[in-house]
Amino acid sequence: MLSYLRQLFFSLFHGTQLDAELDEELRAHITRHADDLERSGLSRPEADRQARLAFGSPAKTKEQCREQLPAFWLETLWSDVRFALRIFRKSHAFTITAVLTLALGIGANTAIFSLVDTVLLQHLPLRASNRLVVIWISNLKNGWSRIGPAGQDYLDWKDQTRSFEDLFLFEHGTGTVTGAGEPEQVSGLRVTTNFADFFGIRPLLGRCFRLDETSAKHNLVVLSYAYWKRRYAASPAVLDQAMTLNGETYTIIGILPSDLATVFPVDVVVPFDNDWLKRADSDLGVFGRLRPDVNLRQASSELEVLMERISHQRPDRKDYGAVLVPLESARVEYIRPPLLLLLVAVGCLLLIACANVANLLLSHAVGRQREIAARIALGAGIARLARQFLIESTLLALAGGASGLLLALWTTYVLARFIPSRIPVPNAADYVSLPSIHISTPVLGFTLFISLFMGLVFGLLPVLQSLHLNVNDALKEAGRGSSSGPRGNRTRATLVIVESALAFVLVIGAGLMVQSFSRLLQTNPGFNSDHLLTLRIKLPNDAKDSPYKEPRLQAATFQRFLTAVQAVPGVQSAAFTEIVPLSQDEMDMGQFIIQEEPPPPPGQHLATDFRDVTPDYFPTMQIPLLQGRLFTEHDNLDNPRVVLVDQTFVRRFFRDQKALAKHLRISYGATQPPREIVGVVGSVLDTGLDQQPRPTVYLPSSQSPDQSMSLVARTALPPSAVLPAIKNAIWTVDKDQPIFNIRPMDEIISGITSAQRIAFLTLDVFALLALALAAIGIYGVTSYAVGQRVHEIGVRMVLGAQRSEILRLVVFHGMKLVSVGVLVGLFASLLLTRLMTGLLFSVSATDPLTFAAVAFLLVLVAALACYIPARRAARVDPTTALRCE
Amino acid sequence: MSTQADLLPGTLDLLILKAVSLGSLHGYGILLRIEQISRGALLIEQGALYPALFRLVRQGLLKASWGTSDNNRRAKYYELTSAGRKRLREEHEGWNRLVSAMGSALAAEPERS
Repeated sequence: MLSYLRQLFFSLFHGTQLDAELDEELRAHITRHADDLERSGLSRPEADRQARLAFGSPAKTKEQCREQLPAFWLETLWSDVRFALRIFRKSHAFTITAVLTLALGIGANTAIFSLVDTVLLQHLPLRASNRLVVIWISNLKNGWSRIGPAGQDYLDWKDQTRSFEDLFLFEHGTGTVTGAGEPEQVSGLRVTTNFADFFGIRPLLGRCFRLDETSAKHNLVVLSYAYWKRRYAASPAVLDQAMTLNGETYTIIGILPSDLATVFPVDVVVPFDNDWLKRADSDLGVFGRLRPDVNLRQASSELEVLMERISHQRPDRKDYGAVLVPLESARVEYIRPPLLLLLVAVGCLLLIACANVANLLLSHAVGRQREIAARIALGAGIARLARQFLIESTLLALAGGASGLLLALWTTYVLARFIPSRIPVPNAADYVSLPSIHISTPVLGFTLFISLFMGLVFGLLPVLQSLHLNVNDALKEAGRGSSSGPRGNRTRATLVIVESALAFVLVIGAGLMVQSFSRLLQTNPGFNSDHLLTLRIKLPNDAKDSPYKEPRLQAATFQRFLTAVQAVPGVQSAAFTEIVPLSQDEMDMGQFIIQEEPPPPPGQHLATDFRDVTPDYFPTMQIPLLQGRLFTEHDNLDNPRVVLVDQTFVRRFFRDQKALAKHLRISYGATQPPREIVGVVGSVLDTGLDQQPRPTVYLPSSQSPDQSMSLVARTALPPSAVLPAIKNAIWTVDKDQPIFNIRPMDEIISGITSAQRIAFLTLDVFALLALALAAIGIYGVTSYAVGQRVHEIGVRMVLGAQRSEILRLVVFHGMKLVSVGVLVGLFASLLLTRLMTGLLFSVSATDPLTFAAVAFLLVLVAALACYIPARRAARVDPTTALRCE
Repeated sequence: MSTQADLLPGTLDLLILKAVSLGSLHGYGILLRIEQISRGALLIEQGALYPALFRLVRQGLLKASWGTSDNNRRAKYYELTSAGRKRLREEHEGWNRLVSAMGSALAAEPERS
């Protein structure tokens, strides 16, 4: 090996010297032979001639010697590369088109692949993340598919299941941090003390909770990295310091590592107190880590059986089941469909780009038939020719790949604006945060691989073509080579058909998405979402001596906030609500009975969503009142209980009967006073724009006060302009009240339509690109066909054909291919768009109108692409055409 | 009947090694000596000689050095290395084995029953 390298070096650097020596040696040999011949009687010139003849070609000998040098292949490689570069410079239109087309295809693929890699393929930085599952409870009889479990569920599962190595319980919440500067609302997590061990977390500083630290008297807290950096400037002196959270003193015992923020984007983490845990009634989160030998199905069945058993022990769990979803899957459930759609779309785009480049290369090779034939005649083997072509196509592909990478970088930057930083978890009133997209090493490797693969495939095309080359014909003036024969035309025809079909599929997808998305955005959510600001206020009542433990005081405080906000100029109306529609903030649902009706049969329950609102809620949101009256300030704790119901509720539970003046009994708390239905309001979409409205019962907040509520305010100016004034108004009432979750309604809506928006935007871009590329491809092929048939066109014209006839001839020839492509694309689309139904809203995947429109569009574009070269054909001068042999 | 034998492929190297073993030579001299020691029956194609010499030098079986020839001209002389000598011996033995095997095979008579 070493000697090989040494020889390589030597021959690289001493090439000319070796050459000169060899020259001298060969010359000496011939001279000696000539001397001998002269001695045997020939004249000197005759001796020289014979000696030279006998030796043969010194050049060939030198070549054979050089071939044995280790650097030989390098030399030839380098000369091939130089040759390729010369070719590119000579036909720069071809080179630029090929490189740009490849850049487009490869760049788009790299961008989407990096998106998919970042979002779908990333493993979470947690211990055994592939065995973590989310466990929800469900009550399908009531139409609830995913509900957060209660603390008691967690304890039951921990005791009675065998499928899990460990279970983890957590609760999202917010808290107020006071005592150092402005009071701050922080996001928090309450966890079971196995937090660190369950996820394999190693704290950056300090420690995490010990398993036995489950009593509230410890009041320990762990900070997140981001919060520690923000609030404490990452100072290590923060350990063992005190912190006032919700009016109580906590001791900071550790700092969490920064990569945990992808999974738990919170500020502080506190442990569950055991008593608290038993009483925590719902909307918690439970993760389980499956045993290595247990799969999801086995765990699901075990849990199913267990829930059945539990429902006999605990009456509140009757009819409840459990739902297990792998954590990694649940996190991307929302965004997976559009991303997969994008993968397919960008793959189609790449195929179209490849078809175009293949066409380009084939046509280009035709122009070089004479050169190739000459090489073959001079003795080049197929291997050498193949190497030349492969080098050319690989250089093109690498250039395309490099430019594609730049394009991908730019695209990723743009995409990052549209990819939301958090996406909803479907059906679960929860959010998941996404990492930011970036180009990673596997993606770079992927790009390189694609480029090289393209280079290989494209390089082989002209080689396969040359195999059928008739060298004699090609060397003649009229050389058109094998590519113009039936075989070449068949290849071209196939490429056009394939391109048309793929373009059709992409444009159909885009067309369906455009309709779907615009219909989605036009859906009436049941309220007016314009100029609506929302923010959340949580009264800090966790402290033992908090004044807000008294419900009347809670209600009164919110009323004072409301009065202050309503006085702000620029606020047209304002109200408080427990949960903002479409916000995925929380759930509030429960069971009830209608007093005047017979109770439901045993085993069946009536269930509905509940919302606590202030009286101005309906005018502020512009939800119509359909019957009866709205809440007034008289509907408070001193007066009879009242409720409002929405139209969906009436349709579901009252059919044709009157709902007004009937009474509901709601299983809230200990007492269940009858509440009179005093009015019916319009339905509101709460879980999503593409979902059905759910039956909802509204309670006046003064009769059902909450600790935290959201303000909704209709503003005359854009919400962000009025926000400072609103904040100030709230602070005039209580200067220490933190405000959080500030979002205009427009932002909330764009958040829950992000999946469709991504699909819509990117698919449109891809479809446009595909259409453009296909048009270019069709133009290229037609143009080439015209060039081939110039002679024939001349003959026809001489024989009396009109210009319009020639035009029609060329266009029809092209359109024939395109029509086949469109038909193929049609069938392919009928099969493929089925996969899109998850993303489509109120548009059928086989919408005939869309299909017809796209077919028409494609035919139009193709006709135009054929028309331009056809016009050229029609303008051909017959005499020049005939001369062209 | 032709007194000249066709050169089997691969035997050129062996002949060169043998020729050089009898004394260091330049390329033309090797050509002459092969003709001489084969009594004119083996004629080497001149163009094939130098690539073979080049190869043998690269394989370390021959050593090349520039010197002056008899008529005061510069010439590249080739001589055997120890590896070359060893190879020559091995190839010679292999050749003898081949020849005797072929000989006995070709001399086989039909079996008398």
